[in-house]
Amino acid sequence: MTHFFLQALAEVGSPSVLGLIIVGVLFGIIGGSIPGFTVTMAILVVFPFTFAMDPVSGVSLMIGVFVGGYSGGIVSGVMLGIPGTPSSITTVYDGYPMAQRGEPGRALGIGIVASFLGTLISVAVLVFFGPLIAGFSMNFRPWEITALIVFALTLVAGLSNGALLKGLLAAAIGLLITTVGYDRNSNLRFDFGLPALSSGFEILPVMIGVFAFSQLLGNIEKLRDEKGGKPPVNTDVAIPYRRILKDMGAQKLNTLRSSLIGSLIGALPGTGGTVANFVSYDQARKFSREPETFGKGTPSGIVASEASNSAVAGGAFVPTLALGIPGDLPMAIMMGVLILHGITPGPLMFEQNPVLVGAIYVSLMVGAVVMVLCNLMLMRWFAKIALIPQQVLVPVVLMLCAIGAYALNNNLFDIWVLFIFGVVGYLLWKAEMPLTPLILGVVLGDNLERQLFRALELDANWLTFLTRPLSALFLALAVASILFSLYQDRKVRARAANTA
Amino acid sequence: MLTLTKDRALALALLLLVAVMWVESGSIRPPTSWQPYGSALFPRILLATIGVLALLLLMRSLLVAATPSAPLLALSRRWIRARMSILALFALFALYAALLPIVGYIVATAGFLLCSLALLLGVDTRRKWAINLGISTLLVALLYVVFRFGLNVWLP
Repeated sequence: MTHFFLQALAEVGSPSVLGLIIVGVLFGIIGGSIPGFTVTMAILVVFPFTFAMDPVSGVSLMIGVFVGGYSGGIVSGVMLGIPGTPSSITTVYDGYPMAQRGEPGRALGIGIVASFLGTLISVAVLVFFGPLIAGFSMNFRPWEITALIVFALTLVAGLSNGALLKGLLAAAIGLLITTVGYDRNSNLRFDFGLPALSSGFEILPVMIGVFAFSQLLGNIEKLRDEKGGKPPVNTDVAIPYRRILKDMGAQKLNTLRSSLIGSLIGALPGTGGTVANFVSYDQARKFSREPETFGKGTPSGIVASEASNSAVAGGAFVPTLALGIPGDLPMAIMMGVLILHGITPGPLMFEQNPVLVGAIYVSLMVGAVVMVLCNLMLMRWFAKIALIPQQVLVPVVLMLCAIGAYALNNNLFDIWVLFIFGVVGYLLWKAEMPLTPLILGVVLGDNLERQLFRALELDANWLTFLTRPLSALFLALAVASILFSLYQDRKVRARAANTA
Repeated sequence: MLTLTKDRALALALLLLVAVMWVESGSIRPPTSWQPYGSALFPRILLATIGVLALLLLMRSLLVAATPSAPLLALSRRWIRARMSILALFALFALYAALLPIVGYIVATAGFLLCSLALLLGVDTRRKWAINLGISTLLVALLYVVFRFGLNVWLP
């Protein structure tokens, strides 16, 4: 392992890959700083640029965006009082009041250092648990993998903001999309007589179409609804380094707890930075000796928020690398990058591509260092960039999405796929359908079908899914996750009825 | 008369999709002795799942009393009028995709950016025009250089 780690270190340490990580981190921070742009959108925009790169370079660039993106939300959160990404909502609770009372540099500094430490602790979690889980899942046969994918999809669908039915529908639609074109037996399905459909849909244009269009056009709608300009911003910020060191010295336990919460939540399918953010903030308040200071500009709140949302980065890699199941949207895209480069994420990756796995660890750590340096040196620029209006951003990102979709195979049909799924995504979003289960369905659909029929070819009895202990456990968990979501839905409705 | 809510419209659209896809799945090659499950089984499992879930959604939406709204045509007209800029952006994007192979990357992309920025930013001041032209020309040139020379990707 040490040998592969050193080889990975050498590859990531090369000037070209280091340069890519810096570019990725810069772009990620910018993407995370702009309210409404989000880490996912930043990753989607950069994705096409990795097509012509080798796997280590491509993955390193994406990890740079990932690490930078999760930390970027702090700039707009502290300076504008608007979270750049949903995963930095609680940063605003204490960061903005601290900035308002004349300490924006302190708030930003605490957030950046907490982000850095959160990322490093999550890498440690990944290095420790990744190979352990991968080793365990090496024993999984098609029955277990099928059941695990079903569990992941139901879990994600169940966590869709109280919309279980729509979440399940979205996941099933995502799976259905993957059935278009030639299947595992070279039989043609759902081509409707159109030769262009015979090879099916590429994951990338579908993902970009569904996600980017709904989000970007949603931003335009929000702009129309919220009249009034952005608040004036003073970008002249100085970082009080000594004060921050003292602040962080008093936050050791909070940093560790929040980072571990972030890593754990990142590893659970369907949760991600937003959930980590709230859980960690809530825990920090419960453990605090001065809970009344939360929401008024306390360093503890900023640390809890930023350490946990950055720790999601490493944690989210655990199920993606060890099981081949992405936990959230950015990880689904990251999995797309790996598949594009001919690498199948899963337990075998640790055996077949140890250098790439090592490169992911190293890139996360290097990315964290670059993130701190970039944030500290260029903070005032990021604050200015955060003010880019959506009216400029939306056409530019749409155009980048189109060129990215084309560049995948030099195929103009992919731009039409992007457009059609853009329309579908926008309409589904308007119908309040959660889109994350749909995208996960698209990413996992092929594997689910392959594993299901491999299991049935080995043993034609469907009941085998229930007689094998692990497979039965995953299916039981899938049912439990649905029942729990139903219970939660009912509770929320009863509460709403009582307050009405 | 039945009021068309978001959930009802979604459920009905999905049921229509299931019907169309189910009929189309009939043209998939049937199972053989060496492919006993056939290629239509997996999509049919999914279609049945979507169908059942869509029916549940429809039933649930029917249990909740919907506030009576304007007739469907008037409602659609209002919906479209409220989203003119978004629909125009979709139309511009479709036009861009159609023109890309005909006029090439440079003209089509510059045209798309100019029009969509004008649509969203507005064209009422010289400053806005300057921003629009600056962003459009700079981005078109920059992306061409990056893709063509940096990534070796030929743009149409």
